[in-house]
Amino acid sequence: MKNKIIMFWVIVAIVIASVVVIFTKPTKLGLDLVGGSRLILEAETTESIAKITPEVMQRLQFAIESRVNKLGVAETVVQQVGDKRLLIEIPNVTDLKEAKAFIGETAQLEFKKEGKAADGSPIWVSTGLTGQDLSKSILSTDQSGQWVVSLEFNAAGSKKFADLTKALVGQQMAIFFDGELQSAPVIREAIYGGKAQISGGDSGFAYDEAERMVNLLNAGALPVPAKIVEENTVGPTLGADSIAKSRNAGIIGLSAVIIFMLIFYRVPGLIADIALIIYSLILFALFKTIPVTLTLAGIAGFILSIGMAVDANILIFERTKEELRAGRNLFTAINSGFDRAFTSIFDSNMTTIITCAILYMLGTSIVKGFALTLALGVMVSMFSAITVTKNFMHLIFGTGELKYPALFGLRKDEIGKGYEATETKREKARFGILD
Amino acid sequence: MINTDRKHLVHVVKYRWVWMALSALLLFPGIFAMLYSSLHYSNHAPLKVGIDYTGGTILQYGLEQKIGNADLTKNRQALEKLGIENPYIQILNVNNTQQKNTKSQINSIISIRTKFIDKDSTLPKQITEVLSKEYQNPELISVSSVGPTLGKELFKNSLIAIALAVLGIIAYLSFRFKFDYALAAILGLIHDVIFVCGVFSILGLVYNIQIDGLFITALLTVIGFSVHDTIVVFDRIRENLRYYAKKMTFGEIVDASVNQTLARSINTSLTTLITLLALYFFGGVTTRDFVLAMILGIAIGTYSSIFFCSMLVDFWNDKKNQPAVS
Repeated sequence: MKNKIIMFWVIVAIVIASVVVIFTKPTKLGLDLVGGSRLILEAETTESIAKITPEVMQRLQFAIESRVNKLGVAETVVQQVGDKRLLIEIPNVTDLKEAKAFIGETAQLEFKKEGKAADGSPIWVSTGLTGQDLSKSILSTDQSGQWVVSLEFNAAGSKKFADLTKALVGQQMAIFFDGELQSAPVIREAIYGGKAQISGGDSGFAYDEAERMVNLLNAGALPVPAKIVEENTVGPTLGADSIAKSRNAGIIGLSAVIIFMLIFYRVPGLIADIALIIYSLILFALFKTIPVTLTLAGIAGFILSIGMAVDANILIFERTKEELRAGRNLFTAINSGFDRAFTSIFDSNMTTIITCAILYMLGTSIVKGFALTLALGVMVSMFSAITVTKNFMHLIFGTGELKYPALFGLRKDEIGKGYEATETKREKARFGILD
Repeated sequence: MINTDRKHLVHVVKYRWVWMALSALLLFPGIFAMLYSSLHYSNHAPLKVGIDYTGGTILQYGLEQKIGNADLTKNRQALEKLGIENPYIQILNVNNTQQKNTKSQINSIISIRTKFIDKDSTLPKQITEVLSKEYQNPELISVSSVGPTLGKELFKNSLIAIALAVLGIIAYLSFRFKFDYALAAILGLIHDVIFVCGVFSILGLVYNIQIDGLFITALLTVIGFSVHDTIVVFDRIRENLRYYAKKMTFGEIVDASVNQTLARSINTSLTTLITLLALYFFGGVTTRDFVLAMILGIAIGTYSSIFFCSMLVDFWNDKKNQPAVS
């Protein structure tokens, strides 16, 4: 009995710790609940970079990260998935169109000179001067008040630029941004000092256009182009709606299960209900500590695991009732109920954990969230449904005979009749002694 | 310990052929629908697959007013004018009446599925314009897009996940029980998976419901649950065999074991179904199909673990020990 009382206080301590965690730590909510965007970018090979190596991915990730950070949104995620993909998560963004254009743009700045194609027609040919030779760019206006993008080259860039302009006096030099011709001024004299300007051609730049270009140039070009292969955007209204509804569904589901257990299993049902509430508290505290990002699928996994947690108790109580009908005394019936149900509970939970592990390894991020919450739920339920309920059952019922079978939802004439109890010596030794 | 006084509620062994016929009856319409779909659909899939697996874009608009099915045709015509071939439109009615506290102004959701929309495309803007003419302030509440190559990869990964899960379960059950039992449990879960897929194939044909990544998750959960249920029955057969193998025939033991675990099987399924029904009726619209798949799976899983799997175990045992004992 002493052990039981110590265990009881251990359970109380765990519950108090869980409640403290729940009230002090924030819940991490997924994008489908708070609203926001998830993008998957895939790196594409180019003529110069024929293979996406880990090194290329690192550079791509770095460039994308610096762009995402420029969006000024908290808690963004840029993470590599697979060999050539990047996962980007931007919470709380309502209008994604701009952000997407900003992230996906290669931002390749190139200076080109006049040349001739094989058939003699004029084309622009590369000069070797690119965005990589820049030290920074600034938004400014020219004499006539038009928005222009001012460029400052680094040391190597300045020298290249000077040499080029010297060689190309009297000719046009074209500035391409992401393959698009921006302007093609005629060079009047060699330019020293490493400064240049991009004007928007005849029509000039709009403020937004020029600003975006400056931001992109400063964030750095992507080493390879990347295209968006998957996109998920959830508006904040839908997210808020989902949270409210899942919470309602959870509360309704939990209450219905609690009432069901009370009606069917009476006092043990009440104990299972308390265990279920303890289960929810521990699991929720675990979610916050690890932390697990809660998504819609994750909440579904959580609610499903409530059903599974109760299953263990149903197994045990059905078994206990059966043993009581077979004429065993209360203490033996409770113990053998737990003992005999254990293999079923263990085996069935193991198969669930196996499925969850496979889902977690192979699934997409939505599926992963579901698998993780379900697996954690199953593991916590082994503690709450077995250790916690067993402890409470012993503390409440002690070792005496069952005077009021109604406490178990049984009729008096059901007990000890109709079954022929075959108790072996080993069983007596196993179930009959208070540990 | 085995009940001899009380009448058995179910007779698995005696009415073996009834249960086989009932299973066939449950599975047949779905199998027919899947065959029909694979011949009928252009991609030869047995189920209507969503953008997660084919690639494409879904735009969802929230509306303050309630709209009906008459709006479907109207919107379809308007979208076809934009040059979208065969636009797939779905109207979801959000039931906000019982839930005043959600504050949401959205009463219906229109989802429009198109081909994969590139980032440069102006199509979303055009669609928004079209809808703005029809309704007040349609709000673009969600966009999901999956590139065509990624879709294929996801589909492949999902199939691998299911195959691995099944193998893992076979290995575990063969280790804990016997290979016979593992095989019966696996046939039971295939039974359940075919049923759920069949129903969704029918729903795809009738209501245009498409399967997505979450559907596979639901299937895997159903697999886990189905085996979970079956194990409880098998565990009892294993235990009873230890005590009564000499006194009773295998068939009697199977019948008794099923009856002993009957209350538990039904009560467990009920509690899980209660939580799922709460999710279905009070949860968000977006997970509704996912929850429906699980409700179907858990209901059929309970049936199969009680009748189908235990019947199979007994059937095999009979075949092995001819002539039949029962």
